[in-house]
Amino acid sequence: MTTQDSALELAEPSKVKWRQYAVTAGRIALVVLLLAAWKIGADRAGPIYVADPWQVAQRIYADTLSGVLLHHIYETLRVSAIGFVIGCFFGVALPFVLRRLPRLTAAIEPYIMASVGVPKYALVPLFILWFGIDDAPKLWLVGLLVFYPVFIAVFAGIRNVDRRLVNMARVAGASESQISREVIWNSLVAFFIASLKIALPRAVSATIIGEFLVGNAGLGYMIEYARQNFDSNGVFAGIVVATALVLVINAILVQIDKRVNAWRPTERDMQI
Amino acid sequence: MASLGHSQASPVAAQSGFVSVLRNRGDQFLVLVLLLGIWQALSLWLGTYWIGSPLGVVVRLYDGVVKGAILHHASFTFSEAVLGFVIGAIPAVLLPFLLRRLPIATAILDPFMVGGYGAPKLALAPLFILWFGIGIESKIALVAITVFFIVYFSALAGVRSLDAKLVQMAQVAGANERDVARHIVFPGAVPYVFTGFRIAMPYSIGGAVVAEIISSNRGLGYLVQLSAMNFDTIGVFTALIAVTIIVFICNGAVDIAERRLLRWRPAGDIKNQASN
Amino acid sequence: MSAQPLLEVRDLSKRFASREARDSSLWVIQGLNFSVRDGEFLTIVGPSGSGKTTLLNMIAQIDTASGGQVLFKSQSAPINDAKSLNPGLSCQIGYVTQEDNLLPWRTTIQNVLFPLSVQGRLNDETRARAAELIRHVGLAGFENHYPHELSGGMRKRASLIRTLVYDPPVILMDEPFGALDAQTRAVLQEDLLRLWEMGRKTIVFVTHDIGEAIALGDRTLVLSRAPAKVAGEHVINIPRPRDIRGIMTHPEYASLYQRIRAQVQ
Repeated sequence: MTTQDSALELAEPSKVKWRQYAVTAGRIALVVLLLAAWKIGADRAGPIYVADPWQVAQRIYADTLSGVLLHHIYETLRVSAIGFVIGCFFGVALPFVLRRLPRLTAAIEPYIMASVGVPKYALVPLFILWFGIDDAPKLWLVGLLVFYPVFIAVFAGIRNVDRRLVNMARVAGASESQISREVIWNSLVAFFIASLKIALPRAVSATIIGEFLVGNAGLGYMIEYARQNFDSNGVFAGIVVATALVLVINAILVQIDKRVNAWRPTERDMQI
Repeated sequence: MASLGHSQASPVAAQSGFVSVLRNRGDQFLVLVLLLGIWQALSLWLGTYWIGSPLGVVVRLYDGVVKGAILHHASFTFSEAVLGFVIGAIPAVLLPFLLRRLPIATAILDPFMVGGYGAPKLALAPLFILWFGIGIESKIALVAITVFFIVYFSALAGVRSLDAKLVQMAQVAGANERDVARHIVFPGAVPYVFTGFRIAMPYSIGGAVVAEIISSNRGLGYLVQLSAMNFDTIGVFTALIAVTIIVFICNGAVDIAERRLLRWRPAGDIKNQASN
Repeated sequence: MSAQPLLEVRDLSKRFASREARDSSLWVIQGLNFSVRDGEFLTIVGPSGSGKTTLLNMIAQIDTASGGQVLFKSQSAPINDAKSLNPGLSCQIGYVTQEDNLLPWRTTIQNVLFPLSVQGRLNDETRARAAELIRHVGLAGFENHYPHELSGGMRKRASLIRTLVYDPPVILMDEPFGALDAQTRAVLQEDLLRLWEMGRKTIVFVTHDIGEAIALGDRTLVLSRAPAKVAGEHVINIPRPRDIRGIMTHPEYASLYQRIRAQVQ
């Protein structure tokens, strides 16, 4: 009479552990595989196309010691931060201003949506033409790339504020700016923070790519300079550092997000 | 992306429907005229060195299309975007399907995919140019790898969205594994995959253009760069408008394909997935 | 009609493991015994939570049993081991579930033909049968509509004929008319009886509505609360063809209703 129970039975703890070990082992194996593939690629394809992983590691180490790497990282982060702040500022401020001008908003909305279709990176040569070859064109690029997601998130957030709360506040005698501050801001702060999770890494990426095109400092500049000199060690080193930088920033944001939103029952971002 | 967000219906706003739509259209037209006017005025005031005039752009655009120069470059950018898109999207869609019965494989891959998604793919542009030269191959590779990670996650969500009740129904009706994959898993995943396509589309064109700006001798990005270096702002604007038109065409194509293939979807069902 | 029952349930049990203690588990069904003859319309009533759906799931082999047997044509079905489950017992057992489970991306006619197409039995004859059934339940003209364009009642009807069209010898039905309004329900009950009388399939029909059980069935089983057993068996002596709308006026109805009602506590 003893038979197996249905799937609703508690999974045996040992089975779950085994699976976790298998997954971790698989991941380690995959990392080893990728590194091996890299090494083989380096041996086969020669020093020009594929830099040797060990040499890349040494190069990163050397550049760190000499301070070159930190200099470029600093430059990239500096420009990203400024651009990020500018983009955020307008991305938040503009929807609040537009909220008071519904007719204007309705009139310009299609053009704003149309401007989303323009690839911002394509504007960089124009920015260089207009603003020179210092920080300015990169700041414009980063500012725009940060502006759009933040603006859209805040704008949609404002639009979706519960009207009943707004009416309640009005009846209670709140002024428009008080309503903005109390009801609207609190309603959309979650959307805003979610958009930051996208915008901040994007700011850093955008800066790096902007540095491909203009400037004489930063990780992007480092990579592009190496490429033009057929210095594959430098190219690989730069890409490794740039990728690591963005991934670290991502990870930090995810952690912050978890802490800050720990109390929220819903609003969980899916890891997608 | 039809609009920035939908306001909740308010009794006051619903009143004069037709009139307010008409007024809205009028406003938008007015804004258009105003923008063009400002553009033209700035062009006259600052000179075409800084801002090419709208008329000049129209003429150059017409010229470029008729004589083929713009179309020539546009075809390169377009084919880079499309080929890269296809090369990136196909494995991205296949992988979740093939690994459907091996959740361990998906779990192992997960951190790598998340890392690949988060990493700046465009930063690989110089590497691909180093490898494949300044021709279209490097751009295709860049677009492909960008599109891959985006579409992978959407396809994964689609495959995971499987409704167990539908699978049971099909099994009782006599379906085997292949039937289930073909008739239940695949159609159910299509809306998610299309969301992924819609998100990846601008990245594919943008990626092609960026790579062209960095190093190329053909394409609209190259045209932008070349015109800028020659202080030819009319050329810059013309190329930019051409790129934007391509973006609209591609978006429209994806929309049309989606509407055709997804006629069965109840309205407002998974539309909101687009806010990934 | 042979004397052997077509479908037999012997000592069937089902338990769900609870999350807290290991041995305090919830027996949903325990020691359930009944049989169904070929061509019989059996109705099963019970209070909610009496595991009616679980029972059907086990008979249809979408779910395993914790004990006991299900026999089809005197052969024991492998329901004790998840891996050897054979849903639908190779299309011998059809199952009309509570939710319509129509494939949203298929039109009505495509949904109705779905089992036939996976079974490889699509031909002129089966297509004609499908078309006739569609007409029979009043879905003519809606063949090319998608599920989201149909009302709840229409979707229910489509899911019903989807099973009927491929003619399995046994059909399980889990409160198929539960979520519908009284009018639509009456119409569909009449449809079902009419179709059943044409083919005389074996039907096991689960419902919480005692009136429905009496109106439709040859025999009604009453399930007790969890752990569910057969609390009673009532032969419905009302002759066929039955008048669904007027069934309550039949002399037998009231006493049947009261007897069954008393047991459903």
